[in-house]
Amino acid sequence: MICPRCRSKSVETVKVAPGGAWQVHQCTCCWYGWRNTEPAARTVPERFPEEFRLTRQAITDAPELPAVPPLARPVHADAQGAGDER
Amino acid sequence: MPYDDLRAFLDALDEQGQLVHITEPVDPEADLAVAANAAARMGPDAPALCFERVTGYPTGRVAVNVHGSWANHALALELPPTTPVRRQVEEFSRRWESFPVPPEYREAPPFLAHTLHGDDVDLYSVLPLFRLNAHDGGFYVDKAAVITRDPADPGHFGKQNVGIYRLQCKGRRRFGIQPGSIHDIARHLRSAEERGEDLPVAVALGNDPVISLVAATPMAYDESEYELAGALRGAPAPIARAPLTDLDVPWGCEVLMEGVIKSRVREIEGPFGEFTGHYSGGRRMPVIRIDRISYRTDPLFEHLYLGLPWTEIDHLMGPATCVPLLQQLRAEFPEVVAVNAMYTHGLVAIVSTRSRVGGFARAVGLRVATTPHGLGYCKVVIVVDETVDPFDLPQVMWALSTKFNPADDLIQLPVMPILPLDPSSDPAGISGKVVLDATTPTAPDRRGRHTAPVQDLPGTGVWLEKLRGMTDRARR
Ligand SMILES: [Zn+2]
Repeated sequence: MICPRCRSKSVETVKVAPGGAWQVHQCTCCWYGWRNTEPAARTVPERFPEEFRLTRQAITDAPELPAVPPLARPVHADAQGAGDER
Repeated sequence: MPYDDLRAFLDALDEQGQLVHITEPVDPEADLAVAANAAARMGPDAPALCFERVTGYPTGRVAVNVHGSWANHALALELPPTTPVRRQVEEFSRRWESFPVPPEYREAPPFLAHTLHGDDVDLYSVLPLFRLNAHDGGFYVDKAAVITRDPADPGHFGKQNVGIYRLQCKGRRRFGIQPGSIHDIARHLRSAEERGEDLPVAVALGNDPVISLVAATPMAYDESEYELAGALRGAPAPIARAPLTDLDVPWGCEVLMEGVIKSRVREIEGPFGEFTGHYSGGRRMPVIRIDRISYRTDPLFEHLYLGLPWTEIDHLMGPATCVPLLQQLRAEFPEVVAVNAMYTHGLVAIVSTRSRVGGFARAVGLRVATTPHGLGYCKVVIVVDETVDPFDLPQVMWALSTKFNPADDLIQLPVMPILPLDPSSDPAGISGKVVLDATTPTAPDRRGRHTAPVQDLPGTGVWLEKLRGMTDRARR
């Protein structure tokens, strides 16, 4: 099975309904999730809407929200470094 | 009597004819979202829906549209369901005056009935998850109270935050979370990430109706949502200590998920049909790992449909947005009479005020845009006289039609901050803002010819009552 959105092969079946009415699949590359009983536009790669597809590049290049902040310097380094910045 | 959990509120809605039980079998897609979408189109007395039989979820019950109409919003505040919107906002504001009301720690929270730990946690088994809008990137939880503490001041009760943030289910024990930069949780996360530490988090799903209201209220950073809940309920809010994280959580919640927001991790999230009526996505956002899930027997999954406004979220956030803005404005400008910031969480805000001096309305308008909430919203601010009801849009349009002269009464503010979800912001997060002064100029501002207004005739009120009585009798 491949992911209908990013076509990655890293897809897990995370849930099968008791009685088997449906299965939920999850892509661990773009994190798209879907149920096999949903319409083709949500489940079949060829039918997945163009504007909502994702490439590996788009996944890597996406901006961070919120951005990861710089690590705070330990307290002793602050005390030593304070003079350098002025 | 205040509601201590969602079940008690659903019973009250049921008694008032404001809850529809759907007992026929429905499919998770697209029945649940389509029905919730339809409920949002039913108008000011739309009911909540409770689905009893969802295919493949033997014990899963789903409640939607719980706050999804003015009738239900009124009942959440224990007001009569026919209470006019302006009256509901005034009552919300009046009760806020008794803030803060300390919460009450209660023992034996019902969510301790069942518990799963570590790798036994399985969100897909406990929650009847389903897709809301067609192009959502997955199944979301979008009406849960997310609780975190300030890592730099963990003992400060008021800095503990209770907010609603969209959560994308990304695995059996994994969520993506959207903590908007202007929100308190982003401040907590930043502090934790600067230290290189995970941020403990509790996600409480299926709450009493006042918890959802306060979680949707833009409060000051050090103000406690639980202490506002007490003020709105007129009684202390019942809370409990979360067993794993020791966070303070709503005592009556249906499901409690505990874990951490992982430090310095970002992953692709979305898209998700947002309250702006547009999809948003394509950003890398923080990730939650759930380490423990506790839940009541046959938990109710409370969910909220949002899409093209108006939907439930507009009712949930509407008064909750007006009141803090009114409080903040009045603190400096007691002349302010009313605020209607119900449009898309206050992207448009209408303020009525008395005038202290010529130009005063503009000062008030500019202040709206620089309140804490205004940093991310209040893109269009309309200021009207104290005689105009900002909740009565025909009156507002009359003021704009006759008091507003575009030559001088339009104040444009370029390059202002706005929430990045605003689809017209460019770049995302930056927008112009505008104040429209639709008040009558006061001296020494003497522009225009406003000195001869027509008033309702004396005695109109008496006749109004008389005519209403006559038509009521004729209709009976
Ligand atoms: Zn994928």
